[in-house]
Parts: sequence; structure tokens; C-alpha cells
Amino acid sequence: MPGTDGSDNGVVRLEGVGKSYDGGRTFAARDVTFAVARGETVVLLGSSGSGKSTVLKTINRLIEPTEGVVFVRGENSSAMRAVELRRSIGYVAQEVALFPFLSVAENLALPLRVQGVGKQERRAKALEALGWVNLTDDLADRMPFQLSGGQQQRVGVARALLAGADLLLMDEPFGALDAVTREALQDEVVRLGEEKEVSILFVTHDLFEALRLGDRIGVMHQGRLEQIGKPSELMNRPSTDFVRELFEKPKRQLEVLEQ
Amino acid sequence: MLHERAGELSHRLVEHLVLSLSATLIAVVIGVSMGMLALRSRHVRDTILGFASIVQTVPSLAMLTFLLPFFGIGTKPAIIALTLYALLPIVRNTYSGLSEVPRAMLEMADALGMTRTQRMLWIEARFAIPFVLAGVRTAAVVSVGIATLSAFIGAGGLGVFINRGLALNNTDLVLFGAIPAGLLALYLDGCLATVEGFLKPLRNTRRLLAQAVGLLLIGITSAAGLSTMSDSSGSVGDADAPRVVVGSKNFTEQLILGQMVAVLLEERLGYRVERRLNLAGTAVCHEALTKGEIDLYVEYTGTALASVLQQDPPREPDEAWRVAKDEYAQRFDLVWLPRLGFANTYALAVRKRDAQANGWTAVSDLARDADRLRAGFTSEFLERDDGFPGLRRRYGLRFASVVDMDPGLMYDAARTGQVDVISAFSTDGRIAAFDLFVLDDDLRFFPPYDAGIVARGEFLRGHPEARALLEELSGRLDEEAMRRLNHAVDGEGRAPIEVAREFLVARGLI
Repeated sequence: MPGTDGSDNGVVRLEGVGKSYDGGRTFAARDVTFAVARGETVVLLGSSGSGKSTVLKTINRLIEPTEGVVFVRGENSSAMRAVELRRSIGYVAQEVALFPFLSVAENLALPLRVQGVGKQERRAKALEALGWVNLTDDLADRMPFQLSGGQQQRVGVARALLAGADLLLMDEPFGALDAVTREALQDEVVRLGEEKEVSILFVTHDLFEALRLGDRIGVMHQGRLEQIGKPSELMNRPSTDFVRELFEKPKRQLEVLEQ
Repeated sequence: MLHERAGELSHRLVEHLVLSLSATLIAVVIGVSMGMLALRSRHVRDTILGFASIVQTVPSLAMLTFLLPFFGIGTKPAIIALTLYALLPIVRNTYSGLSEVPRAMLEMADALGMTRTQRMLWIEARFAIPFVLAGVRTAAVVSVGIATLSAFIGAGGLGVFINRGLALNNTDLVLFGAIPAGLLALYLDGCLATVEGFLKPLRNTRRLLAQAVGLLLIGITSAAGLSTMSDSSGSVGDADAPRVVVGSKNFTEQLILGQMVAVLLEERLGYRVERRLNLAGTAVCHEALTKGEIDLYVEYTGTALASVLQQDPPREPDEAWRVAKDEYAQRFDLVWLPRLGFANTYALAVRKRDAQANGWTAVSDLARDADRLRAGFTSEFLERDDGFPGLRRRYGLRFASVVDMDPGLMYDAARTGQVDVISAFSTDGRIAAFDLFVLDDDLRFFPPYDAGIVARGEFLRGHPEARALLEELSGRLDEEAMRRLNHAVDGEGRAPIEVAREFLVARGLI
């Protein structure tokens, strides 16, 4: 049981986090409590409007929660400067991963540039980061429009890693990619999680993506976290009807495979 | 003409470029800030865009006149007016550019931990630049166009040719100013279009900066080249010699008299004379004189009394002159030197054959047939109490139509039958040249308009030799002489300075 002083090892921990609009009349998220351990990948799974993105964005304070507390590396995040907090967390979004008027290297170096890191060091780090996501150096001086969608998103992931080497927030990052590219990138995320010991909170509406990536999966429904646990727990011991119905299909497929 | 005026053309071109570009630059600074401010709230946005739009609807000449009491004549009010006109496209485009930055892009900038300033400078500004530039392009072209009007308030530029051409009824001269102005607008538009192309959002910022600096250097080099060219046509004369600024209004007689005074001071006293000729009317000249932006110009007693002093002028010429002289001395410390010898009164003129066919000899005769006649009057005549409003009341005139016309075009319009009645000046050379007939003011409505040099008291006290010299002109010019000088310019197309100099030589004044 984690203590409220934030002294446990969770990289991110949410306690009773909620976001309401119109002075409490409508809720985008309500009473969400969970933690992401070091090196763990947690997937928040839900349909659109389920509040999964809202929860993710309360962590780097793109959205300020109206209730509850978010601890990042043990510290109450609302007590930190938002700018400092965000600089320590990698963020990958679905849309506009890259700024169209900056070269690949310049895009990659932004997390360093905001902190005032010198030009040469930025360049060196940017080239190194290209390697992390299996891209070659010669892409460094291209403009984003000269890259394929998959390459752009790899650059986006590399940039996020440059910012927060131990914590990535990924908001449906591969939603716009074709199936083959998406799978390749999912593999990349799994590999990074293992190799670099990055903690990842990954948001998706795709059940199979969730199963593929998540050490644990949190099911979001109508602003609430229905259940969070290992895929096997969700399949075998669903705590609500919603979760049971959701996992029925993969469970059956798994049973077919086992026979 | 191109050959003899090449020097002045490049000089005016540089003036024009400086006027319109500095206005555009100032408008960029102010407009971009206003555009950024407009993002704050709906209320601020409506106020700012509303202000910029209203400014845009003020006619340019009205704007210049409105600025006159505050900033006088010359470059300063011209740049202010141009800046105001250049604001709207820049403010509007900055606002829309900034408000169209995609939300996801802003969110990513925030997520990367950019401060407000970093986000504004690196992302929002860069995204909005092509929009802003499109606005700057519009602003620059508008400025080049409106800058032709700055010549009305003595700010120079290519409008000087246009004004002079209008005043002298010389179409070639008008085109000599208008064509380069048009080409300049096209050229600037082309340059900025190129820059805009470079600034497409997909372009790399660093490469872009290098290109922008390159273009700027080319611009500066060519401007520098042009101005060295034009330096050779600059003012001559001893740098230590006293300096005097001579003004004039914007019609032929005034240009001749302005040149006459200027040449006299140059040749006899070796003064460095700056000519601020072609100023837009009495108000501009008077304002410039009281502000010390010009030292002297030729005024008419009736105009001084009615327009400047706003009183009903006495009908007796000597009495009118005495009142004007006393009031000017008392109220403005301005001195009326003894009169030149002619009066240039307002008069109504018609085509001679019309007058003969209808038996018109006096304004009263005309009044009977006025309801089928078209009148073309200058704006000044239409507005002044001693002009059409008073005349209409005195004679009960009701014309079929009344058109507001440029003084330079009015006589031509009468000659070619586009209007039937005009507000002529009694000394105008075109009256004889165009076969026009001056109707007798039988009810004695028009006050006397004796011409005389009006100078700043301070200037005359400091330069007694100039005062003595200028007084030598007194009584030297009667109506007949003035009409001949006017005709030499209007009818024969000669240059005012040449005609003025010839007169001075003939009278043994230089």
C-alpha cells in the first residue's frame, strides 16, 4: 500500500485524480488511482471520451486536475513548476509529432534547446537519439515532410526519450499509421521499455495494441478506471461486466490457441 | 524630359521609398504587437481590429489635413498617416496567423516544456510569419500608393511630380510621377512575394534567415546606390549661408511667386533656399508658417481674413490689407510685407461663346439660367464662406450640378465642355488662353484678394537684408503681368522657375 507522502518507488502515482468542467457538473475523469513502476509499461485502454487522454495529460499538467494528487518521482507535481515538470517527461502525441518548419535534428533537439543546451551538444545528442529508434544519421537534416509517417513517429519517440529518459507519456501515438508500420513501432516500444528501463504510460483504444504492449492494462470507461491489472487478471478475473465483455474475444482466441 | 529630370527622379524615388518603407516598418512593429494583443480576448480583438478598420476608411487627404495641426507639414505627418493606413492588413494578418496555429502544435510546444516566450518566438511567430508577410506585402503596396499624396504636405516623394503636373495641367509630368510609383509598387510586391515564398512553413528556419539577410543586403546596396546618384542633384550653395524655407500653395501662380521669391533670395543674397512649394492649400501653408516649418509664402488679403482669421473681410482693399496686417502681427507674429501690386480675386468664368449666346455679362445674369448649368469648383471654393456658400446666398444661385474639381483640371473641363461654370482666379492665364469669360461680380460679393508676402516676424528680425530685398518686389506685379506669367506656364508649358527668373531679370531685380 503506497503512502501519501510519496516515498514509494513508483515513477508516477495518481491518487483520486479527477477533472471536472462547468464547476463540477461534467466529469472527464473521476477518482482515478494507480501507479506506474520503474521500467513498467502501463496501457490505459478505452474508447474515445472514456477519459484516458485526460488522465494522461494530468501527469505533465497539459490538463490541471480538479481533484486528487499526481506524484511524479515521488514529488507532488502541482508543487513543481509546470515547465520544469514537463521538461523531465517525454511526450508523444498522435498528431503533429514534428514541427514542419524545423529539420529532423532541430526537432529532436527541442527538449535540450528549451533547457539552453549548446548547439553542438544538441546536435550530437540528436544524432545519438536517431540511433535509439533505428533511424540513420542522414535523416538529420531532412525536413519532416520528407519523411514517411512511420519515420516521423520514430523521431517523435526519440525526441520524447531525449526529454524524459525514464518516463514517457504516449497518447495514441500510432493511431494514424498503417498496420505494418504500427506493429514495427510497437516492437520498438517494447524493446525500449526493456533495454532502457523506461516507464511508459501508453493510451490507446486498440485492445490488441494494449495486449501487445502493456505489462498492466487499465480499462477506462466513462471517466472511471474500471479495473487495472495484468492482461491475464483482466481476462480471468474481470471485476465489472464492461471489462468481462471487452476481454471476451481475446480470451476465447487464447483458449483456441491453447487447445 | 526623362533626361533633364533623371537626377530629380532618383532623388524623389529614394524619398518615396524611404517614406513608404519606414511607414511599413513602423507599422510592422506596431501592427504585430497589436495583432498579438488581439489574441488576449474577444473584447480586445474587436477594439483593435475595429480601430484599424476605421482608420482605413478615412480618406487619405482628410487624414493628412487632420494630422496637420498636431504634426505640421513634412515627412513626420506623412509617415504617421502612412503608418496608420499600413496597420490594418498587418494587424489582421498577424491576428489570423497566430490564431490559426494548430492546437496540437501548441500542446506539443507546452509538453516539451517551452516557456511562454519560447513558444511565442520559436513556434507561434514562425508559424504566423507567412501570414504576417502577406499583410506586410499589402501594407507596402498601399503605402507606395498613398505616399504619392504626401507631396501635398511637403514630404516629397514621387507625388511631387504628380502634384506639379496637376497644378500646371501637364499630363506628362503627372505620368512621370505616377508610372515610377506604380512600378515601385509592383517591384516591392514582387520582392516581398519572393520572401514570402521562402517563408512557407515547410522551409527550414536557418536557411531562411540566411536568405532574408541576403535579400536585405541587396535592398540596402541598391538604395545606397540610388541615393549616391541623387546626392549629385542635391542643393547647391554655401553651407554657412543663411537658410530660408519658401512655401507656396498648389497652383501655378503660387509656384511662380514661390520660385520668384526663392530665386531672388538665392541670387541677390546667396541664401540657401529650401523650396516647400505645392503645399495643399491655405490651411497647410498657414499651419506650416506658424510652426516655423516655412519662413514665408505669398498670401491674399481676402483669403487671410476669411479663411485664417475667420472674419468677414472689408470690401475696401486697403482696409482689408490693414486689418490682415494688424491681426497677423498681433495673433501670430507674422508680417505682411507691402502688397505685390495685383489682386487675384475669385471670379465665376464661363466659355466666351456661351456668354455671348446667352447675354451673360454679370453673375446676376447667370443666376437666371443657373438651373440648367453644370458648375465645377475647387474644394476650397466650395468650402470657404467667401466662396460658393456666400455667393450662392447673395445671388440665389441654384446650379443643375456642382462638381468638386482639382484646380489644375477645372479650366480644361470648362474648355472641353464638361462643365459650364468654374471658379476662376482673375489672374489665371488660362482665362485668355482657353477663351473663357469672367463674369462681373455686380453685387460686390467677392472681397479683395491683394497678394502680399507673409513672413515670420522672427525670420525678418534676424534677416533685415532679406526684408529689404523682398520689399523691392512691392508694387512690381499688376494683374496683367501676373496673367502673362501664368499663361507662360499654363499655356506655353514653361517651367515656373524659368518664368520667374525671366521676370526678375526683365525688371532688373537680379
